[in-house]
Amino acid sequence: MASARRLLRPPVLGLAAAFFFPAAAAAQTPTLAERIEACGACHGVDGNSPMEKIPSLAGQPELFIANQLILMREGVRPVEAMTPFVKDLKDDTVVALARHYAALQPKPSGEAADPALAARGAEIGKTKRCDSCHLPTLAGSAQIPRIGKQRIDYLIHSLKQFRDSPHPGADTIMSGAVAGLSDADLAALAHYAAAR
Amino acid sequence: MTSPSLRRSGFAVAGTFALLAAASFPAAAQPPGFSKMDLTKPAASGQDAKLRPHATPNTVTPGDKIPVDKVKLPRGFKAEIWSQGHPGARTMVEGAKGTIFMGTRLIGRVYAITNKDGKRETKVLLQGLTQPNGLAFKDGALYVLAINRVLRYDNIEDKLDNPGQPVELTDKFNLPDTIHHNWKYAAFGPDGKLYIQVGANCNVCEINNGTHGQIRRYNPDGTGMEIVARGVRNTVGFDWHPVTGELWFTDNGRDWAGNAGPEDELNRVAKGQEGAFYGFPYCHANGVPDPDVRIPNACRGVVLPAALTGPHSAGLGIRFYTGDMFPARYKNVAFIARRGSWNREQKFGYDVVIARTSGGKARLSPFLTGLLDEGKNEFHGRPTYVHQMKDGSLLVSDEQNGATYRISYQGRTAKKK
Ligand code: HEC
Ligand code: HEC
Repeated sequence: MASARRLLRPPVLGLAAAFFFPAAAAAQTPTLAERIEACGACHGVDGNSPMEKIPSLAGQPELFIANQLILMREGVRPVEAMTPFVKDLKDDTVVALARHYAALQPKPSGEAADPALAARGAEIGKTKRCDSCHLPTLAGSAQIPRIGKQRIDYLIHSLKQFRDSPHPGADTIMSGAVAGLSDADLAALAHYAAAR
Repeated sequence: MTSPSLRRSGFAVAGTFALLAAASFPAAAQPPGFSKMDLTKPAASGQDAKLRPHATPNTVTPGDKIPVDKVKLPRGFKAEIWSQGHPGARTMVEGAKGTIFMGTRLIGRVYAITNKDGKRETKVLLQGLTQPNGLAFKDGALYVLAINRVLRYDNIEDKLDNPGQPVELTDKFNLPDTIHHNWKYAAFGPDGKLYIQVGANCNVCEINNGTHGQIRRYNPDGTGMEIVARGVRNTVGFDWHPVTGELWFTDNGRDWAGNAGPEDELNRVAKGQEGAFYGFPYCHANGVPDPDVRIPNACRGVVLPAALTGPHSAGLGIRFYTGDMFPARYKNVAFIARRGSWNREQKFGYDVVIARTSGGKARLSPFLTGLLDEGKNEFHGRPTYVHQMKDGSLLVSDEQNGATYRISYQGRTAKKK
């Protein structure tokens, strides 16, 4: 199971390669605008993701975005779909991309939030103090992400990762926060956050 | 995964421990490695509910922003930037040929810092690891402990440009696969064994004493596990007293039980007390019963700390000074880096203190200060570990700024830096 192969992960191209910097010649370094265009194919042109299980980036705190891009670049949080877009990123480009998305307006996704579930999620959230870190507005700050207005399917996916797998690169406090919660609890939390 | 506690062998359990264990675990046994849900009750703590851990940058801090000019030291000592440009700077171990290996948490890197013509060269030796905070060096090999992984790189100092594939020891060490409080601290003891911490998998909860909240020791190949200390919430720094050979360790107290503490601890494992119980989760600091996990006589049979190290101060690295550069009064004194509080309204720590030990007790006094602006309630840097160099100077890593400071003694007549 645990093997040295995890240490040096080969970059995986797969699906993502299709989107790879449409406007940039292979040899040139893409401009910031070209990079943002490439990101938009998955994360939405305005940073609000229309795609299942792909997170919205609009209005995420700058430091959170920068941290995650660096973790993906370093292979600490391996996201196959993202690998081609982050592997050559320098710190200053990371910061520029983060600044761009942090300034965009977050919008709720088209998914229907269930009010009953959301109410239950609010109760669980109270006992788990989600708002002490993610702020009462759930807009996050610094290294802590916005979870308000995030996609429901991504929130569920992300919360399950924190609970079930030693989430690579994650701040381990999140795994502590959701330890012991059921699938139904996590879904309720997701509906609660998305509706904020 | 089988419980490592089933494999423990031949260590001395302090007599009181058995008694206490019997009293403390009336509930059904938990599955191995399982910790019950966190019992934190922040609302009851009276603290500002918006307190949360401070961010650690993963980007390089420019040289002119590294706060070395803020550092204050006792008269005759001087601080200078020794290395920089390595975000997440934490643990330091020195190879036989003088390489400083440095571990990190979030950014997942291990750095190798070498000295060339009086200048430091920093390279990213390893990357993509999950919080490789635990580093130890023995017989030319670098042991790297990430969360629940143990790797060994043989003859590492001859292969800094291309460390190649490590010897994978993860399965041999069989550490519990929970991640919270399980970024590792590790060090070889005077007995040649590798000492490793396994933290409590929560802020405060009932833990399975057989798997969590411990310091363990192993043979270097991962065999022969023994439990050295139990009921330890989360130590991420220890060292052995140069004269007595006894193990001393820092321990981080629980959060969300008030701004005043319970205070963090400096503890000693007295000779013959291996396996003793240090109180978590029932009894903290100098005998403070936990407000959330209550049992009768919570502190009975608990080894109380040698010194309290301050509320939420986060004492991490500890190193007994054995060098010749500092004045004689620093011989065998412990230097402790305090990373600084998050779960406290008025920030506290962000410094290096010294602990003078005597018998089982210790007395603290300030050493490196100036990185905390109490008036503004802001910090400039976060000392995490201390390392004694061969010339007797002291390196202090600053995780916030990805730098190290070299502390040297210039003599009492020298002008203050
Ligand atoms: C091929 C689709 C794709 C493209 C193109 C892409 N991403 Fe992503 N990105 C993803 C997926 C999928 C995830 C979620 C990974 C997971 O499940 O953990 C993600 C996650 C992220 C995250 C973490 C967000 C969070 O809430 O945890 C950030 C930040 C991010 N992407 C930024 C970018 C940027 C900036 C670009 C352009 C340089 C980009 N992405 C391009 C698919 C893509
Ligand atoms: C002690 C602080 C803390 C608490 C309490 C906390 N979180 Fe988090 N949360 C974080 C941090 C820090 C991250 C970023 C994780 C990382 O670095 O990978 C995060 C990440 C997340 C993410 C991933 C978002 C994304 O875009 O990738 C979700 C979802 C989330 N938290 C939901 C919750 C919920 C729901 C609760 C309450 C049950 C909660 N959190 C409680 C600190 C906290």
